[in-house]
Amino acid sequence: MEPARLVLSSAPHLGMRSSSARMAWLVAAGLAPAAAWGIFLFGVPAAIVLCVSVGAALLAELLSSFFLKKLTITDGSAFLTGLLVGLFMSPSTPLYVPAAASAFAILVVKQSFGGLGRNWMNPAMGGVLFALLSWPGSTSRWTGAFAARNAAALPPLVALRQALPSPTGGAPLSVLAASGYRWSDLDARVIAWINTHVFAGLGTALQPGTFDMLIGRTPGPIGALSVPLLLVGAAFLLRRKIIRWRVPVFFLSAFFFLTLALGGIASGGSWLSGGPGFHLFAGSIVLGALFAASDPVTSPLSSRGQIIFGISLGVLAFVMRFFGSLGDGVAVAIVLGNCVVPLIDSRFDGRATALSRGRRE
Amino acid sequence: MTDTRKLPHGGVNPPNDSNISRTAPIANALVPSRAVIPLLQHAGTPARCVVQQGDKVSEGMLIGKAEGALSANVHSSIPGTVVAVTGITLPGGVASQAVVIDLEGEFGKSGKPRQPRAWEGASRIELLGRIQSAGVVGLGGSRMPTHLKLASAPGSPVALLVANGIDGEPGLSADFALLREKTAEIAEALRICRALLEPQRIVLALGEDARELAGAFEEACATSKLACDIAILPSTYPQGHEQIVLGSIGVKGAPGRSVILNVATLHAVYEAVVLDRPLIERVVTVAGAPVARPRNLKVRLGTRLGDLFEECGGLLAAPGKIVIGGPMRGVAVSSLDIPVTKGTSGVTVFDESAARTRTEWPCIRCGACVEVCPWDLFPTRLYKLVRQGSLAAADREGLSRCTECGCCAFACPSHIPLVAVFHEGKKALAGGGNG
Repeated sequence: MEPARLVLSSAPHLGMRSSSARMAWLVAAGLAPAAAWGIFLFGVPAAIVLCVSVGAALLAELLSSFFLKKLTITDGSAFLTGLLVGLFMSPSTPLYVPAAASAFAILVVKQSFGGLGRNWMNPAMGGVLFALLSWPGSTSRWTGAFAARNAAALPPLVALRQALPSPTGGAPLSVLAASGYRWSDLDARVIAWINTHVFAGLGTALQPGTFDMLIGRTPGPIGALSVPLLLVGAAFLLRRKIIRWRVPVFFLSAFFFLTLALGGIASGGSWLSGGPGFHLFAGSIVLGALFAASDPVTSPLSSRGQIIFGISLGVLAFVMRFFGSLGDGVAVAIVLGNCVVPLIDSRFDGRATALSRGRRE
Repeated sequence: MTDTRKLPHGGVNPPNDSNISRTAPIANALVPSRAVIPLLQHAGTPARCVVQQGDKVSEGMLIGKAEGALSANVHSSIPGTVVAVTGITLPGGVASQAVVIDLEGEFGKSGKPRQPRAWEGASRIELLGRIQSAGVVGLGGSRMPTHLKLASAPGSPVALLVANGIDGEPGLSADFALLREKTAEIAEALRICRALLEPQRIVLALGEDARELAGAFEEACATSKLACDIAILPSTYPQGHEQIVLGSIGVKGAPGRSVILNVATLHAVYEAVVLDRPLIERVVTVAGAPVARPRNLKVRLGTRLGDLFEECGGLLAAPGKIVIGGPMRGVAVSSLDIPVTKGTSGVTVFDESAARTRTEWPCIRCGACVEVCPWDLFPTRLYKLVRQGSLAAADREGLSRCTECGCCAFACPSHIPLVAVFHEGKKALAGGGNG
């Protein structure tokens, strides 16, 4: 009757079924719809870029495992980092760029600071920033190879930059229209149909390009194009409580309102004409906010800290997009934000501060 | 008046897979053929043994006399012969003397209906004396001698008396079952406590999942002319914790202290005062996947776990881990010879797969532990501080407020043994440590 061996371990005797390792794989799964959309739009070149960035990340992880004598490749975080790096790349980027970015992300940003849970900046964002600094313009380089599927030869954001300052002024889509930017034929047909059948009676009209921007049929980083699909992936992760809502929501809101208020002035226009919708859908800000800024390792612990962190990221992303020169400013904003997390933590993290204050009083 | 309130902060909802029906009656366990009765079944100093090997004892006879601080009397739970007075190891590694009694002679004294004793005319000293001599201690887990809690202190009026009807852990339902079956007795015990403490307000705290008991309890109160409010509190763990119950109910009006007693303790008070019965049995939840027929059992103190499982149809699978208590706070034991004591509200058995230690990953700062901590602590930081040996800093961050409820470790996706480390840290702090 006496059992052979009873486990003696301390309470609690129940735990979450999920694990940190599984979480990284699930985040990668959350990115899948957006990645699939990128491959669908750009075809094989996009798939190759993703394979190279993921492969480089995994190789780098193996290499560091060799030095650290600890096999960590199964925790999924290297795969996720590689995937994220690739999704920030243009499909026509030279392949050494994603390879170097992933390797830098894993070897320098992640493993040199102690591996999973210890990195002080998001490894993928560090890698992307490394690529932006080392090969300026390469991540948004466009060879025009996708003109067959996409009428536009340039990402809308890049085209907008080239068109500014615009003699006509106005919202981004009007500036693009005035500069002769070409959207897809499908966009033209859909917008024309909606304008005749829905908006004609209301005395207003949709700008050309609205449809392309909304569903993400534009050139741009492989994984950043389709905001709806990014939201689908993020909703799945939010439901499973794998990412937290505060950082992305405050990040995007701060960016939205700043762009709304000041974006027009920054591009030589007037107040409240910044076209925040355009700027949210263009570039990689939604991808960055939902999948990189929300990385728990590099964001504050307390909810107040997360709110402050999110707002700071929004401000930084706004400044970097309108006044910076490093791509669309998302990666650099997130890395800068990551750097001040310890500062935010020390102020808001814990009742420790409150407690010791209480004692002094 | 019934009102519903929220947990102040945090908490978790672990799965309750005890499979015990909410309507199943409390089963009477057979009187064990051997009882192992520890002399330390309460918070303070062990009782002094007043029997020796070879002595004949009757059911309910005093075998350990309270001595020293926070001590309580211990009685024989079965009639028979003392075969040994020996040292045993209690769950958690605490050493205690225990009286081993082999069943012999006439028993069933407790089976006969007893004539209720009048208590209303009795003095406070007399009432407290009955409770004290019966060895009543807090059965919810605190194991504090109850007569000390019920002693009124001059200059310290009682504003609130709470009957805690919320089981301490998910999966345990002994208090629920007792409240359902002994509603009138518990209401009567509250009247006894009212006479002792003269509180301004009496409240019964119930979990949301025990809402159906409110009606019967209100009736019992009406019959015995007891003014008692019912507070329905969420079933989020650890709502049953005394401090959280008190915090949720809140003390309105005049200042004064609050006294909270578990319903099982109240039932023991009733038995001691009205039926003159010492505390020799209690209701224990026996649950867990390997248990053939999980149930609530009325068990003689000193019954060994092995006998307890026999009462439940045995174990269907080899147990991987057996804990005294529930899945969140229970203490793992290594032997089936461990006896049921006054503080045993449940026994939970895990199969081998559930008992397996899970891979520990690095902290990814996900903040799950911060979110669920009912005491507003930052477990992840406390963990780092304790691990570093910075006990003084951990103390400043509130380590001593940790109740080891287990929410943080339960929620941690990296499976970091937070509670085990806090336990060690608190022990080191109490022992002087380097803080």
